Amino acid sequence: MGAQEKSQANANSMQRVKVYRLNDDGKWDDQGTGHVTVDYLEVCLIPLPDIGWRSEELGLFVIDEDDNETILLHRISPDDIYRKQEDTIISWRDPEYSTELALSFQETTGCSYIWDNICNVQRNLNFNSLNSETFHSMNSELRELPAVELSTLPLILKTLTESGIADQMRLTELILNDQEFFRKLMDLFRICEDLENIDNLHMIFKIVKGIILLNSPQIFEKIFGDELIMDIIGSLEYDPEVPHVQHHRIFLKEHVVFKEAIPIKDLLVLSKIHQTYRVGYLKDVVLARVLDESIVANLNSIIHGNNAIVVSLLKDDSTFIQELFARLRSPTTSAESKKNLVYFLHEFCSLSKSLQMVQQLRLFRDLMNEGIFDIITDALQSQDKKLVLTGTDILILFLNQDPNLLRSFVVRQEGVSLLGLLVKGMITDFGDDMHCQFLEILRSLLDSYTLSGAQRDTIIEIFYEKHLGQLIEVITASCPPKGIAQSIGESGGTESTKPEILSNICELLCFCVLHHPYRIKCNFLLNNVMDKVLLLTQRREKYLVVATVRFVRTILSRHDEHLINHIVKNNLLKPIVDVFVANGNRYNLLNSAVLELFEYIRKENLKALLIYIVDSFWNQLANFEYLASMQSFKVKYEQCLETSGIKSNVNSVDQRKRIDERALEKEEEDYFNEDSDEEDTASASHTERAQAQPVLSNGVAASYAALSPRSGLVDYDDDEDDEDYRPPPRKHAETSEEDEGLESLRLKRKLSSSNEKEPELVVKKQRLGKNSKSRDSVFAALCSTLSQLPTKKTGSSMQIIPRTADGNKGSGEENQQENQPEESVNTRNSDNSSSSDEENHNRENESVASRNCSDCLLSSSDNGQLSGEDCPLIAPKSSPEMAVNGS
Amino acid sequence: MSDLDRQIEQLKKCEPLKESEVKALCLKAMEILVEESNVQRVDAPVTICGDIHGQFYDMKELFKVGGDCPKTNYLFLGDFVDRGFYSVETFLLLLALKVRYPDRITLIRGNHESRQITQVYGFYDECLRKYGSVNVWRYCTDIFDYLSLSALIENKIFSVHGGLSPAISTLDQIRTIDRKQEVPHDGAMCDLLWSDPEDIVDGWGLSPRGAGFLFGGSVVTSFNRSNNIDYICRAHQLVMEGYKWMFNSQIVTVWSAPNYCYRCGNVAAILELDENLNKQFRVFDAAPQESRGTPAKKPAPDYFL
Repeated sequence: MGAQEKSQANANSMQRVKVYRLNDDGKWDDQGTGHVTVDYLEVCLIPLPDIGWRSEELGLFVIDEDDNETILLHRISPDDIYRKQEDTIISWRDPEYSTELALSFQETTGCSYIWDNICNVQRNLNFNSLNSETFHSMNSELRELPAVELSTLPLILKTLTESGIADQMRLTELILNDQEFFRKLMDLFRICEDLENIDNLHMIFKIVKGIILLNSPQIFEKIFGDELIMDIIGSLEYDPEVPHVQHHRIFLKEHVVFKEAIPIKDLLVLSKIHQTYRVGYLKDVVLARVLDESIVANLNSIIHGNNAIVVSLLKDDSTFIQELFARLRSPTTSAESKKNLVYFLHEFCSLSKSLQMVQQLRLFRDLMNEGIFDIITDALQSQDKKLVLTGTDILILFLNQDPNLLRSFVVRQEGVSLLGLLVKGMITDFGDDMHCQFLEILRSLLDSYTLSGAQRDTIIEIFYEKHLGQLIEVITASCPPKGIAQSIGESGGTESTKPEILSNICELLCFCVLHHPYRIKCNFLLNNVMDKVLLLTQRREKYLVVATVRFVRTILSRHDEHLINHIVKNNLLKPIVDVFVANGNRYNLLNSAVLELFEYIRKENLKALLIYIVDSFWNQLANFEYLASMQSFKVKYEQCLETSGIKSNVNSVDQRKRIDERALEKEEEDYFNEDSDEEDTASASHTERAQAQPVLSNGVAASYAALSPRSGLVDYDDDEDDEDYRPPPRKHAETSEEDEGLESLRLKRKLSSSNEKEPELVVKKQRLGKNSKSRDSVFAALCSTLSQLPTKKTGSSMQIIPRTADGNKGSGEENQQENQPEESVNTRNSDNSSSSDEENHNRENESVASRNCSDCLLSSSDNGQLSGEDCPLIAPKSSPEMAVNGS
Repeated sequence: MSDLDRQIEQLKKCEPLKESEVKALCLKAMEILVEESNVQRVDAPVTICGDIHGQFYDMKELFKVGGDCPKTNYLFLGDFVDRGFYSVETFLLLLALKVRYPDRITLIRGNHESRQITQVYGFYDECLRKYGSVNVWRYCTDIFDYLSLSALIENKIFSVHGGLSPAISTLDQIRTIDRKQEVPHDGAMCDLLWSDPEDIVDGWGLSPRGAGFLFGGSVVTSFNRSNNIDYICRAHQLVMEGYKWMFNSQIVTVWSAPNYCYRCGNVAAILELDENLNKQFRVFDAAPQESRGTPAKKPAPDYFL
């Protein structure tokens, strides 16, 4: 190919590149702008008897766009020297120039096209060096194609099917040079079809197929044009290997419906839309079995390019977008056509993946400003489940692009209801429909590993304030209270919640444990959330029981002394041990999950738990001593007792945790401690633990001495609590009000009358907490009284929310104090137990698709981000103040 | 005819199920798989099959050669999905058979039964293309987490997708893995699904795959001895002859995807064990072109864009 032809063929932005060369100073010199092609190096044009008539060496050519000079000529090397960066740059160390060269592409598709070409050439080079004869058998006479006539079809076919790789390149050239080739071929096709000349139709099928297999983008451009494509598809209906003629054209013309939610006037857009569908059809249906990966890749890049053109032309058509949203909002638009508009929006957003990142982001931002989230909020309230799910699919597209867009909407007053709808969706029975999207969206909104500051914190706050209780409530409502449990079984109304919903809740809770350690801690400790989740062990679906075990296991992975003590104090592993024992010698997932839990406790040397488990349950567990892991567990326990005093052991654990303790407010600390003392009397069996507990507190108290004048073990001063410690009690009260079970929804609506609530709270407390003493209820009652201040303001709290960022700043010092400890603890954890960390990451990976690969990499630096998450802990404190100031 | 039987018939024609049917099937499968152990016990006679990789019509050849389930008792060593055109139909058929005949077919997990891998090698895209959303992929990958990790035939033949792990010297150690998770990047569970035997390695070696290990003959010898096992049966690597013994018949690779990726030109094999554990390899070719229907992945018949 001469230089002229080249530049002609490439007057195409896809191939437009800048060439850079690394100079001696380590800087990149701009060598000029031109068009790049992969072509034969014209170093050896003399026919050589053994290797064919031209060089097989292929190279990269860049021809200057202004003067047609060759800017770059590079022989493609079989060695692995090429690097692709940022989707638009290909660079390599050039052996001939002996420096680094780089091509910077105008378009990503162009870059990936050339990249694929380089890879193909490399593959052939490597293959040829293995087996060089195979590709040289070709007739060296191939200088022109026979004229396209019925009589020459066999010759054309022969030329196509018998050409080696090098000759295919030449063939492609010849076909492209003959402007009339395809027109003539398709004329012949129509004639043969009219005459029902099956033999020739089969021949034409093979020719067209052979030409497609040449995998030339230039040829594709030609044959997929409006004039030719239907005939091309028609010719592919006559596959000699398929007994019946396929009716692709009939399908495309008669069955496929092109729907226009809003009429599109731009002819180019329309033509691209139809072409895209047809090329996709060709790829997925007509030739699905014939195409190899590189052809599929080329077809995909055509589709990709078309999508990009369609979306960008439509998005830049401001009247189109305005009309779209006007109709979506208009009260006169019929429900049916609104539905179609939402489906259209979904396709539109989904195709925008073909845009460059920046453009897509801009588009999504524009759509958000046009009010797409309001539209989705409406859709999510529809009775039509398909519409609801389409709404969630659009949200997922937004989240994949930039979670902050949706987050920034959800924190706004008008957006709060969307979060509620998502939680509601997650716990709604969608019958046969799949609705796992809700969980995914919530996870994405609550993900603390993606940095986004105040917004994220606010969402997390709203979630914990309003919705966590809702989820827990679903669990409690679906699990019969203990005692009646077994008898109810399948028939009872308590089974009405779909197990998959419970399993989704469980998964979300595990996610929360990993992402919001402090939130979880406060919530779980104050509201007996763990006890409630553990009710799931009574469910007959074993995968729910296993999910509950995993929930406990996830909590343990936090290495949080308070939570661990809470577990010990409240004998929370009892249901786990019970199901394990009841499961007997069956070696199933439940058996493995519980054994893994024990292994973890042993390996991580969680002494409080070791001692608690053996002391409380060894009678039952002794039956399992035939298992190696059980033996080791017991051995560890004994070592633990021997090397004791338990005291010093616990202290050493405590050393590590001590700083962490500071994170909880002093008063909260006292509250927990106090809790423990009561519990001690309640269950005498945990004597070991009772010993351990005060020591622990001492350690903490010691470290606290400097910070707080009140360093006593157990501080019962309620009045002081009340003054200093509003926020957790407020939450306590609010959430426990949600704990009321089924009535709570009604209750919540008439929040105002506190008289109703207080007694119930007390009753509830007594019913739930094993350790409920009068002190507890007094405390709870006090909290609920206190909570009147903020709860009454729920109406205005929405305006407050965005300001919590300021609130956080205000208490920044405090934050830092709190953050540091968590960081150091986390680092410790990862030092001590890389295996457990690994598992955590895996859990996280489970859910969030590919993006998580990078999360996984990030997670070594999670600590900082995690501690960033702690900010919301402070927020409740600031929001009431803000409320007062603000109103 | 029950719904399930009808669905099996439909899947045998390579027609995918509706989303709602997939959901119901997955929930039932979950209840069954949760009862299985990490080292699932399997009785002889049994027919062991290696990688399938979505080559639905070739799997139908496999059933022709090996007999239908439930008449034949099957053990599949994982890698049901990715690469081929029919991962959805392939996996759903196997899963439906599992739900219908839980005791006559055992499915263990391969390295491709993973969220990360399926997003790269085709299953994810196939679900998206065939259903218009990735919900089916989500449900299926959730099920992957429940699949057992290995099988033990009559206490004598250890079967696993990839190979051994330096963290596992006894079968009992596999018991304490909570397998319900995405395949980790390292550790015992990862190795079982990713490792390969390698002649030139003495002991353990780095795997070029980036996960799992290479292990040599001595490792296999001591594993087989300490667990009182005759030999290990695994899949995971393409072998042109369909099966391949290594290390003096201490480990065998079985590969059941003929003409892998529709172009490798290999034959496939399954290993039939009779009640006395006598071995017979059945080698088979790719399904002939005529037996393959036109691909069922018709695109949605309407489009906006």
